[in-house]
Amino acid sequence: MTDIDVIVAEGVVKTYDDSGVPVHAVRGIDYTLSKGEFTAIIGPSGSGKTTFLNVLAGLDTPTEGKVWLSGKLISDMSGKELSDFRRDHIGFIFQAYNLFPVLTVEENVEYVMLLQGILSVERHDRVMNILEKVGIAEYAGRLPMQLSGGQQQRAAVARAMVSRPSLVIADEPTANLDSKTSGALLDMMRQLNEDTGMTFLFSTHDEIVMRRARKIVIIRDGKIDGKASSEEI
Amino acid sequence: MTMIGGFFLSSLSIGWMDGSYGSIIMFFTNNRTGQIQVHHKGYLEDPSIYSTIGGYQTVGAFLDSIPEVRVWAPRIYSGALLAVRPRGAGSGNVFSNSAAASVIGIDPAMEEAATDFSDRIVNGEMLTASAADTSYAAAGQIILGRELSIILDASVGDSLVMLSQAADGSSADRKYVIRGIVSSGNADIDRNTCYITLSDAQILFALQGKVHEIAVMTHSLGRVDELTGEISAGLSGKDLETDSWKTFAKEFYNGMKADEVQLKIMIFVIVLVAAMGVLNTILMMVLERRREFGVMKALGTRPGFIVRMVVLEANIMGAISVIAGAILSTSGLLFLSKHGLVMDPPLNYGGTVFREMIASITPECYWIPAICVFITASTVSFLPALKAAHTKAAKTLRAV
Ligand SMILES: Nc1ncnc2c1ncn2[C@@H]1O[C@H](COP(=O)(O)OP(=O)(O)O)[C@@H](O)[C@H]1O
Ligand SMILES: [Mg+2]
Repeated sequence: MTDIDVIVAEGVVKTYDDSGVPVHAVRGIDYTLSKGEFTAIIGPSGSGKTTFLNVLAGLDTPTEGKVWLSGKLISDMSGKELSDFRRDHIGFIFQAYNLFPVLTVEENVEYVMLLQGILSVERHDRVMNILEKVGIAEYAGRLPMQLSGGQQQRAAVARAMVSRPSLVIADEPTANLDSKTSGALLDMMRQLNEDTGMTFLFSTHDEIVMRRARKIVIIRDGKIDGKASSEEI
Repeated sequence: MTMIGGFFLSSLSIGWMDGSYGSIIMFFTNNRTGQIQVHHKGYLEDPSIYSTIGGYQTVGAFLDSIPEVRVWAPRIYSGALLAVRPRGAGSGNVFSNSAAASVIGIDPAMEEAATDFSDRIVNGEMLTASAADTSYAAAGQIILGRELSIILDASVGDSLVMLSQAADGSSADRKYVIRGIVSSGNADIDRNTCYITLSDAQILFALQGKVHEIAVMTHSLGRVDELTGEISAGLSGKDLETDSWKTFAKEFYNGMKADEVQLKIMIFVIVLVAAMGVLNTILMMVLERRREFGVMKALGTRPGFIVRMVVLEANIMGAISVIAGAILSTSGLLFLSKHGLVMDPPLNYGGTVFREMIASITPECYWIPAICVFITASTVSFLPALKAAHTKAAKTLRAV
């Protein structure tokens, strides 16, 4: 493990056992994600992508194995520490956007900075700056439902990045978008990755998205089934 | 909604309780008994004509020195036979309409100050000083209870004769002119009570300088118990006893208390039902917003923050319902304080009948339910808040 490793996962196994019938969603994965990567986890539906991302982000606990985030073992962290760690180090983009429906775009983006206790003036500057970058500054005062899907997902990207996390995790960020919008969103994300050096890890089974990734990890039946760089695809 | 309703109902009930019961007690005590009474020891159990307060002026002076005492009124109680000459019976000495009655000697000025006696005179006038106050031979003035005047078939201006016995054993007979007819609101009392002046009674019954009772009117009901103790302590060693209305009007007091307990139980039930409603509402809210809480958790919101947020939201809801409920209940209370609620059948407390109950608008009508609402909102929302705070992000975000 080196200090450029954002994520290190060792022997991660996740077995769901809610219903009495054990479901082996992740069956032993070793994985390292380095700083500045722009990596897609691909695989068919049900292959364990979401489960794996949730475990990596500390949203779910692995049945077996260990995960280090920026060198810290997450199983060592208390609930509160983990909350604070996510707040300060991980940005999330969800498939269903999941913006807070009662807050404006600006307030949605501001939210994490509010948790961090950043002063109002700085919050405002940073919100407007990131909204510029994702191209929806003019919609700052709107409610999420007044925006198109693509615009909402751009707002979600802004929300994920505004607190300057070391890692942005996105689970099928384009699954609800048409191909043209998907392409544009991914281009924008990749541009931000190049400009800021922020690390991106996202899952997809969408070819348009895969093609824009710089590295690809293939998951099948809860196991890594191959790695590739974008040129190889 | 449940919160508004709960606030409204409990506010109304409190206004009701404060207003009606407070005013009934005040009405009852102020009109007749006073809130505190001083007697010779044992008088309440055995109201004998010999059981007197001697030197009552000294006791009165002591009472005057207590700021919380509004006024006091001295009284003499005795019994007599009254006989009236029937109208149209000619000029013979035939006093054939007669009735037994209790005779109350009152100081006209002090009684007026204490009980607004003249307000209840339905015919004629209040007693005044007369020759009978100083001379045994003179004719006196008398006021009859309304039902008694009907029994005697006597009206203002008629003459009657009183036959009784004085404290020294001599006969106490005197001629009276009816000066007024009084209706106290209690027919039982008005059926057998007549009033003469205190000085008259002292001469008639040979009780110079003595009275049977001193009724004390205070400024507020709330401090009656303390004040009773204070007066009792100040009069110790005089062979007197001091009681509050809760003792000397026991029947009345118990009736009131039973009602008040009922009302309190009702308020408690209202609060309980409202609390269940609120719990339900907030649980639904938390359930509906599971995804939102999941996102908050994923973005790194601490569980404590979510708990505080849900409790705060419940309290904001509470504040809104307090405002809405206050508007509703103010209009309700205003209505009830103006029009009252007609009681059918009328309430009867120890013989005094109340046909109408009136609410009063006091600060208690608002702050007690308001505090109830906020306490309920906070306690009841705590469990849903914990539930919200422990939302499993991974799980809720999956359910699209
Ligand atoms: N809470 C759960 N309980 C039981 N099985 C689950 C649960 N969540 C996911 N699974 C199962 O785990 C497997 C992996 O799911 P998931 O990680 O969502 O895959 P992907 O994101 O690649 O579609 C699937 O078979 C899915 O049905
Ligand atoms: Mg998935």
